[in-house]
Amino acid sequence: MALRDFRLPDVGEGLTEAEILQWYVAVGDVVTINQMICEIETAKAAVELPSPYAGTVTALKVNQGETVDVGTVIITIEDGVAGESAPAAPAEDDRNLEVPTGKPKQAAVLVGYGVKEGQTPARRARKAASGTQEELGESIVVELHDGPVVAKPPVRKLAKDLGVDIRRIRKSGNITRSDVLDAAMALHGMEQPPATTYDPHREDRIPVKGVLKEMAQAMTTSAFTAPHVSVWLQVDVAKTLKAVKKLKDWEEFEGLRVSPLLIVAAAVLQAAKEFPKINSSWDEANHEVIIRRYINLGFAAATPRGLLVPVIHEADGMDIPTLAKELMALVDTAREGRTPPNRMQHGTITITNVGVLGIDGGTPILTPGQGAILAVGQIREIPWTVKGKMKVRPICQLTLSFDHRMIDGELGSRFLARIGALLEDPSELYDESDAGDDE
Amino acid sequence: MITLGKAINMGLRRALTEDPKVLVMGEDVGKLGGVFRVTENLQSEFGEDRIIDTPLAESGILGTAIGLALRGYRPVCEIQFDGFVYPAFDQITSQLAKMHARSLGTLKLPVVVRIPYGGGIGAVEHHSESNETYFAHTAGLRVVTCSNPNDAYWMMQQAIQSDDPVIFFEPKRRYWDKAEVNEEAPSLGLHETRTVQEGNDLTLISYGPTVRTAIEVAAVCAKEGRSVEVMDLRTLSPLDLAPVFESAQKTGRVVILHEAPTFLGLGAEIASQITEECFYSLDAPVLRVGGFNVPYPPARLEEHYLPDLDRTLDAIDRAFAF
Amino acid sequence: MSELQLVQILSPEGELLTDPEYPLDISTEEIRALYRDLVMVRRFDVEATALQRQGELGLWAQSLGQEAAQVGSGRALIPGDYAFPTYREHGVAWAKGVPPEKLLGMYRGINHGGWDPRDNDFHLYTLVIGAQTLHATGYAMGIQRDKSNNAVIAYFGDGATSQGDVNEAFTYASVYHAPVVFFCQNNQWAISQPIESQTKVALYKRAAGFGFPGVRVDGNDVLAVLAVTRAALARARAGEGPTLIEAFTYRMGAHTTSDDPSRYRLAQELDEWKLKDPIARVKSYLTRNSLANEEFFAGIEKEAEAVASKLRSDIIDAEDPYVEAIFDYVYAEPHPILDAEKSAYINYLESFTEGEKK
Repeated sequence: MALRDFRLPDVGEGLTEAEILQWYVAVGDVVTINQMICEIETAKAAVELPSPYAGTVTALKVNQGETVDVGTVIITIEDGVAGESAPAAPAEDDRNLEVPTGKPKQAAVLVGYGVKEGQTPARRARKAASGTQEELGESIVVELHDGPVVAKPPVRKLAKDLGVDIRRIRKSGNITRSDVLDAAMALHGMEQPPATTYDPHREDRIPVKGVLKEMAQAMTTSAFTAPHVSVWLQVDVAKTLKAVKKLKDWEEFEGLRVSPLLIVAAAVLQAAKEFPKINSSWDEANHEVIIRRYINLGFAAATPRGLLVPVIHEADGMDIPTLAKELMALVDTAREGRTPPNRMQHGTITITNVGVLGIDGGTPILTPGQGAILAVGQIREIPWTVKGKMKVRPICQLTLSFDHRMIDGELGSRFLARIGALLEDPSELYDESDAGDDE
Repeated sequence: MITLGKAINMGLRRALTEDPKVLVMGEDVGKLGGVFRVTENLQSEFGEDRIIDTPLAESGILGTAIGLALRGYRPVCEIQFDGFVYPAFDQITSQLAKMHARSLGTLKLPVVVRIPYGGGIGAVEHHSESNETYFAHTAGLRVVTCSNPNDAYWMMQQAIQSDDPVIFFEPKRRYWDKAEVNEEAPSLGLHETRTVQEGNDLTLISYGPTVRTAIEVAAVCAKEGRSVEVMDLRTLSPLDLAPVFESAQKTGRVVILHEAPTFLGLGAEIASQITEECFYSLDAPVLRVGGFNVPYPPARLEEHYLPDLDRTLDAIDRAFAF
Repeated sequence: MSELQLVQILSPEGELLTDPEYPLDISTEEIRALYRDLVMVRRFDVEATALQRQGELGLWAQSLGQEAAQVGSGRALIPGDYAFPTYREHGVAWAKGVPPEKLLGMYRGINHGGWDPRDNDFHLYTLVIGAQTLHATGYAMGIQRDKSNNAVIAYFGDGATSQGDVNEAFTYASVYHAPVVFFCQNNQWAISQPIESQTKVALYKRAAGFGFPGVRVDGNDVLAVLAVTRAALARARAGEGPTLIEAFTYRMGAHTTSDDPSRYRLAQELDEWKLKDPIARVKSYLTRNSLANEEFFAGIEKEAEAVASKLRSDIIDAEDPYVEAIFDYVYAEPHPILDAEKSAYINYLESFTEGEKK
């Protein structure tokens, strides 16, 4: 005597569920094979189901009026067949098609298809990958035709751009981006020292990894892919300093740090809006110049971890108080070494404040993927002329480096000149037409 | 929540209501409402002149539809199952596809040919084919396929409104899938690829019945720490690949999934184009998962034939192994 | 049916008639044998239908009601005659000796036709409507070239007569005088579409347009079908070319188990045709004329139950196909690319841990 489950079959080519309209039998009834036991309704038709077993009904698993998925057990019948064990309870969706053995399958309901609602998809467990890739059958074997250089297209491109002969990289197996950059660094690095040997104990060796490595790679990539041109301008920032003082007293700036750097940032944003092509990037892969209509303003920062360039995203949409707030947060976070990775991505233009280090200017290297970078020097009181008269004025030197593939001298210069003009008279940048002092 | 089959029915109904020139014709579409009930109750509402039970001849359905279209009607033909389209193949490829070009644009054939396709319903021979490639390969035809009820509802109407012949493939094993349908406005045009969900690590492209598989695959990948971007092509000819290229450039790895055999399937065309357009972004070759290059097997073997969750995951694993 | 012109030898009430054009030379033993055939075929079909409803078959196309048309024509064939069925000719398969359980394989999804056609000269079931009529015509053209005495019979339904292939077969067969009998079971319905949607003229009259004779026979009358088919086969063997037989019958069941006839036809129509049942009239004839007793009928019933029971156990125990079956039979000649695809897939399957499913 065995308990037989009857699962709701797919009676019409792809049906997934049916409603039990009516039971014709009850628990305890004796049924014969093919005796009609219920009526079901599907999306296509109402049909009667004949019993696949003879025996006694032990359970009706579904109520009249209930809709169930194909494959659900709807009735259990204890058959009169002695000695035969019941089929092992198959999983809900019994599709046990084994790899060929030819052994007869147990009776299975030709159930409907597709994942039932509510069943979580999960992958079948694989055996551990054995040995080399070649043993994985239909898997990856990378056909190496012309010799042993294994490198992906983006890596080959990088090598080409950096002037690295990829075949000379001594490494078996996959050559990575990192390998190419290392080779580029070696290629473009300092001249070899003279043959004299020095006592290694008189040297300190710092492993190139982490931020150091990133900086080296970024600078190398940038320096040797983009032709850098620098232009500089000395700017009388007296009015900027006055503005800083004034804004500090404004309600909107309560609790916020207002510094000349803030005004420089605002000036850069304003100028970038006026010269949109400066906020661009050279896309070698697609042979396109990408001009971005949003400005993510990066600030080169010396942090406990090293040189990082955190970014204020969508800075162009911010008013000065918001910009001040963001800049303050950015600086504080960077100082604590807590800048999260997503805050260092997607910058479109960078300001590097070398002035805090007591420097007038320099030739900054572009952040990779950007078109321009502005170095802001210290503010010095030096002799200047104002309206033909000698005066001592606060002067700041701005140096702009730009990618001369898509930004020409005129654009770079005009952009810088505009920044200078805005710093000479920042009143355009904020909402108060306080004429301020003239000079 | 509306089933995909019902959504097509609703789309047809709306098109029939809005344009008196729209006709529906095919075997068993009228009185019976179609073997999948997709044209249910249309004949009682719109009459026998507009919802036409045709004699049992597919070539006849297409040929007369062409004639009706020349006379100014907009016929929506039904081929009962994918495997039965072949008697009509000549009318579709020699006539339907070419008449506009032949007539230098004078003659328009705004005919829609609805074809339930794909396997997974435990059927007998000829009821589980994926023959979309033959039609995508035929210039002059537009070929689209829906994967969900909302697209089914809108794309059917958009196909009917097109002045070009459209082959409209309906994933029959998804006819009973349910989802919300927004009857206010379509979210996409007829020939636009849809990004189903975003991801950063790999792009998984599919269409029709296997879009649901792709979504399940992405869910498993997410648990494994891989973020998969799923795209539903929707339009097979013309292909809308700009979003696909963008995605490939973002992720660097692409897998294409379809039921049709991989040999000369749509995946082959897409892989080729991605390789041309996105070469420098690719960290792995574009891989394809599809049916074997065999006639569709008997139902008890179809689970082996149909590309499923594990086969797709296998391809994704291989893509990441590069 | 009295308004229709059709050949009838055994009326629905079981009364023996004669048709001068189709004299039938048949013994009582032969009629009892035909009765047995009809009962076995019906019982087989009923059991297969039940098996589908129990999930053992994905689909079943019922022959219910068409037993006489199929058994009558099937029994008219001589050894070596070749039959091209559609997908519903279980009665012809029975007459040709195809083991019944083999017909179920394709409906169960374990194969696309599980018998060797050459064993019983009974072709695999063809699901594309009408395609087999051209195959039958070509086969008959082969028989001509072999100068054999055999003939071919091609089965198709009323709906199929609309297909181009069937009309092309008529054309080819007629111009070549091919030894083929076109046997159309007009069961009045093509899924949901009635015969009126396929033709404006009685189907048997179509033959005249193609230049060969057509005859309509009461498809529920096994004796008339036998007589008419024999005559048509004789014509074919004599080199006189094709004949179109329209067996006027009724599809008592649905098109297939996926179909719901209540959506498009009235129960009343079914009731009218029940009065013309092919088996009842033979039983009636035998009983009325004391040509068979209760013992005979009981014996037939018992045998039918045994057929059903064996069918059930055969199909439940039927082996699922090997996975290799997907690849192994595509080509006759070696195909290295497919071989590679197969071994890659087998390796893939073996890469999973044992006994796990999704």
